[in-house]
Amino acid sequence: MSADLTKPELLVIDDEVQIRRLLRLTLEDAGYLVREAETAKAGLEEVNRAAPDAVILDLGLPDLTGGEVLALLRQKTALPVLILSVFGQESSKIAALDAGADDYLTKPFSGGELLARLRALLRRIKPAVASNTFRFGSVEVDLARRRVTKEGRTVRLTTMEYALLQLFITHRDKALTHRQILCELWGPKAEGQTHYLRTYMMRLRRKIEDEIDAPKYFQTESGIGYRFVSEP
Amino acid sequence: MAAPTPTTAWPTWPFLSRGRNRSGGVAEATAPSGWRLRGDRGTASPVREYLEVLGVIGAVTVVGWFVPLTYRAFGHIYLLAVIALSLRVGRGPVLVAALVSAVAWNFVFMPPRLSFSVLHFEDSLMLGTYLLVALIGGQLTARIRAQEREERSRERRATALFHLTRALTGARTLDEAVAAALDQADGLFEARTALLLAGDNGTFAPHEAGAFVLDENDRAVAQWAAYHQATAGRFTETFPQAAGLHLPLLRAGKVLGVFSLCLPEAAAELSPVQRDLIDGFAAQIALLVEREQLRGASEREKFFAESDRLHRTLLDSVSHELKTPLSVLRAAGEKLDTEDSDKRAGLAVEIRTATRRLDHLVGNLLNQTRLESGGLKPQLDWCDARDVVNAARRTTGEALANRVFKMEIPADMPLFMADAPLMEHALANLLLNACLHTPESAPITVAAGLENSDGRERVFVRVSDRGPGLPSALRDQLFQKFRRGNGARAGGLGLGLSIVRGFMLAQGGDVVAGDNPGGGACFTVYLPHQAHGSVPNDER
Repeated sequence: MSADLTKPELLVIDDEVQIRRLLRLTLEDAGYLVREAETAKAGLEEVNRAAPDAVILDLGLPDLTGGEVLALLRQKTALPVLILSVFGQESSKIAALDAGADDYLTKPFSGGELLARLRALLRRIKPAVASNTFRFGSVEVDLARRRVTKEGRTVRLTTMEYALLQLFITHRDKALTHRQILCELWGPKAEGQTHYLRTYMMRLRRKIEDEIDAPKYFQTESGIGYRFVSEP
Repeated sequence: MAAPTPTTAWPTWPFLSRGRNRSGGVAEATAPSGWRLRGDRGTASPVREYLEVLGVIGAVTVVGWFVPLTYRAFGHIYLLAVIALSLRVGRGPVLVAALVSAVAWNFVFMPPRLSFSVLHFEDSLMLGTYLLVALIGGQLTARIRAQEREERSRERRATALFHLTRALTGARTLDEAVAAALDQADGLFEARTALLLAGDNGTFAPHEAGAFVLDENDRAVAQWAAYHQATAGRFTETFPQAAGLHLPLLRAGKVLGVFSLCLPEAAAELSPVQRDLIDGFAAQIALLVEREQLRGASEREKFFAESDRLHRTLLDSVSHELKTPLSVLRAAGEKLDTEDSDKRAGLAVEIRTATRRLDHLVGNLLNQTRLESGGLKPQLDWCDARDVVNAARRTTGEALANRVFKMEIPADMPLFMADAPLMEHALANLLLNACLHTPESAPITVAAGLENSDGRERVFVRVSDRGPGLPSALRDQLFQKFRRGNGARAGGLGLGLSIVRGFMLAQGGDVVAGDNPGGGACFTVYLPHQAHGSVPNDER
C-alpha cells in the first residue's frame, strides 16, 4: 500500500477463490491495487479498517445478501460498489441496486467489460463536471441555463425530459433501477408506472440519440432499468 | 330430486346422531321384512286402501239409497266407482271393491231391497257380467299403474345416474370426481355417504369429501365388506347393527374401495328400487375410481418412459456438448504456456469461442430447468420493442457481428406487457438459430408491430432470415425439446426453440414458425396487446 499512492485501491468480496485470483490478475495488470475478502463480514471489516476506492461485491456470499451488505456499507460510506451476479439473481440484483450499489455485471463477464465499468465508476467520484457544461457525443448540456444542443442546434426538451436527462448526467455510468428513476421524477407513488418511464425514454432518445434503433447513450438494462453511458 | 315418493311416514329423514341406539337397529333387522318394494301401494299401506275402498262403496250405496233410479242403473254407478278406485289403489283392494259392490248391489238395490234377492236369469247374468267387468277392469288398471310406477322409478334411476355421470365427466381429478359423486349420492339417498379407497397396504382410507364419518365399528364392517367382496352393514344379513351400509367397489375381481351410506335412522327398510339405485351408483363410482387409477398409472408410465428417454438424450448430448468446449479449453490452456505469441492470439479466440458455447449451453439448460420445475414466474411490465430487440442482439453477441441485420419497427410501436429478460432470451435464441442455420451472407431481419387477429389486437416480433427455410417434415416437432434440425451444425442441444415456446407461453403469448415470403424461415412471437394507462404529459 505504501508503494503506489496514486494507484486506486479495490476491495474484492467473493467467496470463490478462483474468481478472486482471476480478478486480482486482471485488475493488477490494469494498474489497480487489490485487496480480498472471502465473506461479507470480513469485507465490511476491511472497509472499516481502511476504505478502498471501490468495492467489487459478489451477490452469492454465504453470510449476507447483497441488499444487506449494501445497507451496512451505505451507513458509513458512499464509495462505489460494483456487484457481480449470475443469471437468475434478477431480484437480488435489483435489491442491491436499490440499496445503493452503483453498477452490476453478470457472470460470466469479460475482463475488458469489467475494467470499463470500473473506469466509469471511478471517474464519477472525481467530479469531472467542473464547468457548467456537460458533453457527450455531439450533445452539449448547459446545466446552469438548462439548455441542450446537439450538433450546435438547440434541442427542445420538456421539463420532465430535461429532469430525466439531468438525473442520468448526475448518475452517469451507473445502472439506475426503474424504481429509482420513477421515484426521483414522479414521486414514490409512481413506483410501478414503468410505462411513464418507457414513454419518456422513447421521447428523450428520439431527441438525443443519433440512431433510435441502436441507442448508444441511454442503454436499457433488461428487467432492471437504464444506464447512461457518457463515453460509449 | 328423483327420490322414491314414500306413502307412509318417511317425510323427512333426520340425520342420525353419532351416538345412535344400536338395539333399535338390531330389532329392525331381525324382523323378517326382507326387501320390499317401497313404492308399491298394495303392500305399503294396505289397511288404508281397503278402508278407502269400503268408504267409497259405502258412500255410493248410502247416496244411492236416496236417489230414485232403477236398480240396474246402480250397476253402472258401482262399475264406475270400481274403475275409478282401481286408478288409486292396488289389486287387492280393487278385488275387494268389486266383490263388496256386487254384494251391496244385490243386497241393497235389487228388489226386494235390503235382502239378498233370489235372482232370475237376467239379473244373475247382469250381476255376473258386472263382477267380471269390475274384476278385469280393476286388475288391468292396477297392472297399468304398476307398470307406470316401474317406468317412473326406472326413469328416476336413469336420471340419477345421468346426473352422476354428468357430474363425474365434469371432474378433472379423482378428488373432484369423488366429491361430485358423494355430493350427488347425499342428495339422492338423503343420506350421508363416504368413499373408502384402497391404500397400499390393504387398508381402506376414507376420502375426505365424504359426509359420513365412519366410527370404528363401521370401519371394521367396511373392511369386512371389502375383504369378502360382499355388501355388509345395515339392511343386510351381515352386521345389520352397523350404522352404515357398505358396498364393496368391484372391478374385474379387484376391490378398489368401499362405498358407505348412512341412511337416516327412521328408514326402516330399503326398497329394491333404492337398492338397485345404490348398486348402480356404486358401480359408477367403481368405474370412476378404476378409470382414474388407470389414468394415473398410464401417466406415470408415460412420465417414466419420457423421463428415461430424456435422461438418455440429455446425458448423451450434454456430455458431448460439454466435453467439446472443455477439451478445447484444456488443450488451449496447456498450449498457452508453450506457444509463441503470434499463435497465442489464435488460442485466445478458441478459448473465447469455447466459453461462449459453454455459457450458452449452461444458460439454456438452466432455462429449460426453470421452465420444467414450474419455478418460472414472469414479472410482466411495460416493454419497449426496440429495447428488447437490442438486448437480444447484445446477448446473441458475435454470431450477429458480421451479419446484415435490419430492424423494422414502426415509430408508433406501442409498449407491451412482457417479462423483459424472458423476451430477451426468447428473441436471442431465435436470432442465434437464424445465425446457425443460414449462410453468413444471408441477412436477418427483426420486425415488430401490432396486428389484428380475430378481432383482437396483438403485438408481434418476427425474426426472419433468407436461409434454406424450414423442412416441412420437421415443422410439427420444431418446438419440442431435443429436436434438432437435420442440417444443423454440430453443437446445440435442441433446447432453443423449446425454451422460446416455454417463455412465450409463460408470458401469455405464443410462437409460430413459418415461411418467409420470398424464401427463408421466419419465427413470430406474439403477445396480447393492451393499452397502458395515461402518461402525465408536459409536452410544450
